[in-house]
Amino acid sequence: MGISDSRAALGPRRLTGAGLGHATDASLEGLLNQVARGDQAAFEAVCARTGPVVFGVVRAVVRDPFQAEEVAQEVLLDVWRAASRFEPGKGSAQAWVTTIAHRRAIDRVRAEQRAADRQLRAASHAIAYDDVAEAVQARLDRERVQRCLGCLTSLQRESVTLAYYGGYTFREVARLLGVPEGTVKTRMRDGLIRLRDCLGGE
Amino acid sequence: MRWRRRPEAHAPHTLAGAYALNAVTAADRIRFERHLARCRACTGELRELGEATAALAGAVAVDPPAELIQRVIAESARTRQLPPLVGHAGAGRRARRGPATQGVRRRRPAFPRRLVSAAAAAFLVAGAVAGGLALNAERDLLAAQSRDHTIAQVLTAPDAVLLTARVRAGGTATVVMSRHDRALVFMTVGLPALAGARSYQLWLMGPRGDRSVGLLPPPRDGMTSPVIARGLSPGDWVGLTVEPAGGAGTPTSTPILMLKLV
Repeated sequence: MGISDSRAALGPRRLTGAGLGHATDASLEGLLNQVARGDQAAFEAVCARTGPVVFGVVRAVVRDPFQAEEVAQEVLLDVWRAASRFEPGKGSAQAWVTTIAHRRAIDRVRAEQRAADRQLRAASHAIAYDDVAEAVQARLDRERVQRCLGCLTSLQRESVTLAYYGGYTFREVARLLGVPEGTVKTRMRDGLIRLRDCLGGE
Repeated sequence: MRWRRRPEAHAPHTLAGAYALNAVTAADRIRFERHLARCRACTGELRELGEATAALAGAVAVDPPAELIQRVIAESARTRQLPPLVGHAGAGRRARRGPATQGVRRRRPAFPRRLVSAAAAAFLVAGAVAGGLALNAERDLLAAQSRDHTIAQVLTAPDAVLLTARVRAGGTATVVMSRHDRALVFMTVGLPALAGARSYQLWLMGPRGDRSVGLLPPPRDGMTSPVIARGLSPGDWVGLTVEPAGGAGTPTSTPILMLKLV
């Protein structure tokens, strides 16, 4: 994506890949590189490209729309600020951005709910991605991820989704699912590896 | 936060999945990152796991309100960017610290592998993202050696805020505070040495009155090691005064630093 079309790229957008090493990621990396040098047009393009995934993951975790907007805004500004710290050797640009978004979202819910009884959230919170699925632009990506999640064992799937979308720690997940902590840790790792293999194989 | 040794401390590698999912507490994260620093295989694995979690994020993508993007872009125009990380003082190689979970954070070999150094590194990862972190402050923090897990707790608190200020007598003070934990960690660099029987004394000053936090330890290499202040109250300031060697019950001189706690 060139800089010249960054203006036009604002507004409703397709999602460009899900961080799976698509060709588009290379240009997102290039854009980040330009952002690191203070290029605002490049930043607009980055916002257009990553805005949906940032807002989506923050909303899935934080839930409250007002707070989700606040956090998503912080995340995108983080991308602007910290673009020079992105290291392509350590993962895709998409993964870098989504990690920032997810961490910020988790930080927000943990700060708010540290003292609260988190178990209360469990019932309504499981597999949050269903709630927002209808709004997703990247239907294909979404369907692919859901199909691959379907290839996981139910314990792997629940461990991964409760942690990622629910914002629970592995100990909390273990409690919620009534299984030993060690088992949950293993299932999270195995589940992600299987997810990755499935996505990479398609 | 408890720091007792858990059985899985012997096999931190099994935390990779939970770590990639951010499904770890601050303590777990520190422990795993210490492991990461020594585990080459982990870097590759985390990169793979990171792509899987990015896909999970992609699956819930939804267009943000257009105003949100407009606000961000407007805000970016007046927001200073972090400089790239280049060689730190005394370190002959590039510092590698990124804001993501993606990788090894190297440390200088001579750097003590203390818990708090890992904590500071972990905090700095978040802090670099949170922005506004001056390289000086990074160095101060990284160099800071500590004795107490409370420091790690404050540094890694989700709501940790970093403040820096110039001290009137010379030097810089760095404060990391967690409102949730009602605690802060205070460090200085470059404070002038005090002649005679005098000490620097740290205070919390505010609606609840002036409370002594304690004397600053003698500087080493120009830096004072971290001092912890607990029991922060709304409206408090941090104050630093020069007092007679043992300290005073109430401040007896004009503060050379007054820093409002946000």
